[in-house]
Amino acid sequence: MVATRFIGWLRKYEKWFGLTATVLISAGLYTGLVTSSPDYYQGEVVRIMYVHVPFAQTAMLAYSTLFLCSIWYLWKKEAVVDNACHAAAGLSLFFTAGGLITGSIWGKPTWNAWWVWDPRLTSFAIMFLTLVGYLMLRTFLDDKEKKATFSAILAIIGFVDLPIIHFSVEWWRSLHQPLSVSNRGVSIAPDMLVPFTLMSIGVGILFSYMLMVRTQMLYLEHLLEAKQGRLLNEGQL
Amino acid sequence: MHFFRVIRWIAWKDLLSEYRNRENISSMFFFALNVILIFSFSFSLDSETIKEIMPGIIWVAFGFTAIIGLGKSFLIEVNNDCMEYFQTLPIPKGAIYLGKFLGNLLFMLTVEIVLFPLFVLFFNLDMIDQFLQLLLISTVATIGLSALGTLFSALTVQIRAREVMFPILLLPLSVPIFIGAVEATRGVLNADAFSLYSHWIELLVVFDVIFVIVSFWIFEFILDY
Amino acid sequence: MRDNCEEKARNTLESRQGCLVKRFYLRWMILMTIFGSISILGAVRYFQEVRTISPKTLLSIQPKETVRLMGMIDAGSFMKATENEPFRFDLSGEGGKVAVTYTGEDPDGLLRELKTIVVIGNWESGDGEFQAKEIALVPNYGFITSAYIFSLVPLAFFLFYMERRVALLYVMIKDEKVYQPETGQ
Repeated sequence: MVATRFIGWLRKYEKWFGLTATVLISAGLYTGLVTSSPDYYQGEVVRIMYVHVPFAQTAMLAYSTLFLCSIWYLWKKEAVVDNACHAAAGLSLFFTAGGLITGSIWGKPTWNAWWVWDPRLTSFAIMFLTLVGYLMLRTFLDDKEKKATFSAILAIIGFVDLPIIHFSVEWWRSLHQPLSVSNRGVSIAPDMLVPFTLMSIGVGILFSYMLMVRTQMLYLEHLLEAKQGRLLNEGQL
Repeated sequence: MHFFRVIRWIAWKDLLSEYRNRENISSMFFFALNVILIFSFSFSLDSETIKEIMPGIIWVAFGFTAIIGLGKSFLIEVNNDCMEYFQTLPIPKGAIYLGKFLGNLLFMLTVEIVLFPLFVLFFNLDMIDQFLQLLLISTVATIGLSALGTLFSALTVQIRAREVMFPILLLPLSVPIFIGAVEATRGVLNADAFSLYSHWIELLVVFDVIFVIVSFWIFEFILDY
Repeated sequence: MRDNCEEKARNTLESRQGCLVKRFYLRWMILMTIFGSISILGAVRYFQEVRTISPKTLLSIQPKETVRLMGMIDAGSFMKATENEPFRFDLSGEGGKVAVTYTGEDPDGLLRELKTIVVIGNWESGDGEFQAKEIALVPNYGFITSAYIFSLVPLAFFLFYMERRVALLYVMIKDEKVYQPETGQ
């Protein structure tokens, strides 16, 4: 039973990830919100960076995890790997949405607009739509193996497409508006680097912890469904 | 040679059935015509704004056409229980993909070539001189669209909400095609030198190469189920 | 940790499920305490260092200590610094008006007419003048607070419901008598 051992392993080690993430994020928030100095050009608003950039980085990390999991699934066809894919997709959607919302809030005081068609923002919006499509595709398919395979294929295609989307939007932007607007003018001072690094690593580790928890959740849900379905059939017989 | 014969036969089969009932091409064509009609009412079309928005209108019309046409690409196989047949045949699965892709590409190009004169007619454009450049742009863009579209058609054909899921999956991932095609077409309509917009065509070619290869490789996994 | 719960369940009448649930809520209470105190510290820092007062408030409380005063530079009142003269302008806000002198440099061109800025310094009630030592950007704490609330609060809810669901699922599966997780040798 590979899956049982894997889930057992997740259950055994998840708490260390959770603990590390809590320590790093609380230290990052403390330094970021209380002790670090404001940015010279942006003033206090720069503190949004300590939550926005880690969220965006973690969204990319989650999408890369989804890509690797999908390749692993197509290779080995393990049901528990599909649970990990599904978990990574949900988390990636969550962090992408978080990154978009905080980016939008940061954009208002710095660019004086809630939304600009910046290459990074646009790529993230398209990534968001792709992930919504991924999760919708999963809800519309009934057969478990078909669901896993088809969604893995979609995730791989989407991941391959992301850099092309980014470059094409960048070219398109440079044609229609000067790119200077994408430069937020943050030169990171040393005492800003501390909370920034802490939050980046902390949210990354928090993502691993959430991935472990969510993989367990999806695996157990399927297991429970299977067992209950079997009991129900036996009852009917 | 076996491989190329499979491609040729599948594309031939699609073209032949299309020639007999003309369902696909006529629905794509009249749908695109309706899109053009609606757009001409939606914008005030004096000759200055036409040049600004025309590339967008052309490619939105073609994109909708692709959704109408490509989404149904594998439906005929499912309706006639041919998917199981494809799965059991001892032929390379990628060849089936390439055959379907080729058939779809030819349908879409036919519709686009018929539509271009109508654009010229309805919107008083003078792009007859640059017909070759337009043909090149629409070919490379359509290759990309039908490469992705054929793959997603096979993905979505067996699910309940097929009509909704197909565009939801296809449109976000084909953003580079639309950007590249619209910008290159704008270059043509402004009668720019070819070198000014050739980088968009290069982008489209890169997209085509990557996605034809990736879809060809990945299609095998779809037919496994 | 988990074994401890099992032992307890064996020794006393308290069920293992109840023990796990209690521990789960305890953990979340500790987390909430940590993050709550960090946000309180942030708020305290805001009130000590970043909070600004308007010219009207300044005139009514007449403070002795250094304060941060926020207002708009009145049109026509702005006078550029010369070699031995400081910047002079009137700041107005909420119906009050205060004359400000600022001795120092303005490298970023912050000071211009009809611009809202923050000046940091002391109120000299004798001269009726505000002597600014520093100038600063307008703090946008609303944006920061909303960014943190919109990202971290959903994160906490998401994680909370996920963890609770997992704990519940383990119990439910245990009750189904089919699955025994063999972990933690």
